[in-house]
Amino acid sequence: TQSQPRGNLVPANPYLNTEIPEWLIVYSKAPPEHDHKLKWDLFQLNQMETFDAMLNRLYKQECEKIVMKYERYRTALNREIERRKKSSVISTDSNDSAN
Amino acid sequence: HLAKSPEEVFDLLGKLGEGSYGSVFKSLHKESGQVLAIKQVPVDTDLQEIIKEISIMQQCDSPYIVKYYGSYFKNTDLWIVMEYCGAGSVADIMRLRNKVLNEEEIATILYYTLKGLEYLHSKRKIHRDIKAGNILLNTEGHAKLADFGVAGQLTDTMAKRNTVIGTPYWMAPEVIQEIGYDCVADIWSLGITALEMAEGKPPYGDIHPMRAIFMIPTKPPPSFRNPDKWSPDFIDFVSKCLVKNPEQRATAQELLQHEFIRNAKPVTILQRMILEAKEIQEEQTLNTVNGDESGEDEIEAGTMVRNDEGTMKGSQAGTMQSESGTVICNSEQSTMVESDLGTMVINESDEEDDGTMKRHSTATGGKEKYRPSYLDHFEKKEQEAQAQRTQPPAPVPQPVPPKQITPPHHFQRSLIDGDFEFLRNLKYEELERRLSDLDPEMEREIDELRARFQAKRQPILEAIDAKKKRQQNF
Ligand SMILES: Nc1ncnc2c1ncn2[C@@H]1O[C@H](COP(=O)(O)OP(=O)(O)OP(=O)(O)O)[C@@H](O)[C@H]1O
Ligand SMILES: [Mg+2]
Repeated sequence: TQSQPRGNLVPANPYLNTEIPEWLIVYSKAPPEHDHKLKWDLFQLNQMETFDAMLNRLYKQECEKIVMKYERYRTALNREIERRKKSSVISTDSNDSAN
Repeated sequence: HLAKSPEEVFDLLGKLGEGSYGSVFKSLHKESGQVLAIKQVPVDTDLQEIIKEISIMQQCDSPYIVKYYGSYFKNTDLWIVMEYCGAGSVADIMRLRNKVLNEEEIATILYYTLKGLEYLHSKRKIHRDIKAGNILLNTEGHAKLADFGVAGQLTDTMAKRNTVIGTPYWMAPEVIQEIGYDCVADIWSLGITALEMAEGKPPYGDIHPMRAIFMIPTKPPPSFRNPDKWSPDFIDFVSKCLVKNPEQRATAQELLQHEFIRNAKPVTILQRMILEAKEIQEEQTLNTVNGDESGEDEIEAGTMVRNDEGTMKGSQAGTMQSESGTVICNSEQSTMVESDLGTMVINESDEEDDGTMKRHSTATGGKEKYRPSYLDHFEKKEQEAQAQRTQPPAPVPQPVPPKQITPPHHFQRSLIDGDFEFLRNLKYEELERRLSDLDPEMEREIDELRARFQAKRQPILEAIDAKKKRQQNF
């Protein structure tokens, strides 16, 4: 058909930088009891698809937060384990030299 | 396609493997006596994706790409008829021999793979799932690209779809980041595949896929664990593939001119490896015939063949709407395990206990593969997802009962975010225990998050479905 435009064949996720409406963020965090009251079908099809994509985006963001949180903890744990190993080597060394 | 039913046209000789969409069989075209491969895909799976795979295969005519011959509908299955690659995938061969490849073998395979990529990329097609498991070899040793399950071309629906596709360990940083990508995304995956062939698994292959997803874009490009073992040319080749900025990454065409590739030997050097793999497979066949337990066995050409590969089901890997679901297959393939023969053939990399070769206790005679525990979780997830997909959209929008979230293991969670001074007061064993609990714990938390979002998206998805139905009716 047309000649390919230069640039990426697969475009960026269009929702990467779009602002997510505050109410949707609230909805995503709210306890589910009242969710059924929302009448999604009052929206247009493409609006609903946008909201769904935005929820997916929020999900990934939170997922990233979780992974990073564990990453920090993992680093701290490893660091402490390393420290213990080192200090135990040092103390054995000093024992040796004491003997 | 044709009026004849496919069984009249083909004899199924035996199962070759199983992927995320269905099973692949070795088959005989009765009329011509030609041996072919047939992929059977239940049509209730994402038909859209399969049609895409077919249409891409159909448009390709290259000796470096697995040929597509046609397809049939048979009851609820779609039969996709394609070229048979007798030596299986490069990952199959590594797994069978329980051995990584040497540089010579790698260079030859990479040459053919690059020819395939050069062809695809010249047609502005991105493969998107390059890895040892998707490079098939015929019995002569010619490597061909397979598995276009996730390959794609520019379509406007793609702009809408905000899913990340592919296998995390092989994925280029720009693909993970969803900032848009191009053909050179395949080149990154090729670099990872080179490391996979050399070391038995891709970088980060033994860490949780969720962590890998966040490490690939943030860390410097991976490289060889043990650079001393490899030639400067090979190291340079890999470093040219694994450039994080896609604009600075080499293209397939450029890499075909690379010293490492220009010195590649003809396919005859792959014969030894192919025969060895075949022998092992036949030996396993015998073992299984004589053995007792044969739960997973498949019939190939009248004999029993163990089919390890096929037991792994695709997955919805975490955040990834992984259409290929290859996450699981790969974590499996990329871990070299003790072979069924009970002999451990470790090539070169055994001196460093880096986990490249995993020994697995063999209470079951080595029948069970080493398998990271999180795979269970992904499999479960996939089953759930599948149940949801097959479940017809409810006509009456019923409130989805919120998934019961049972958080039994909160003991670490609350501690995680503060300052970590308290670690100084813990026993050493306690530190190690916490470290080993970290992945399951993280997984649980992600699970809960996923359940929450699934419940939140459900009513929207139902409303979308309902609206689409209504629009069709008018
Ligand atoms: N054309 C072929 N010739 C010979 N063997 C094949 C062929 N196609 C597939 N196979 C074998 O069957 C297995 C399953 O293939 P399939 O493409 O269905 O899934 P997969 O590549 O394992 O996983 P995924 O669908 O997640 O990419 C392969 O791993 C390979 O061993
Ligand atoms: Mg495949």
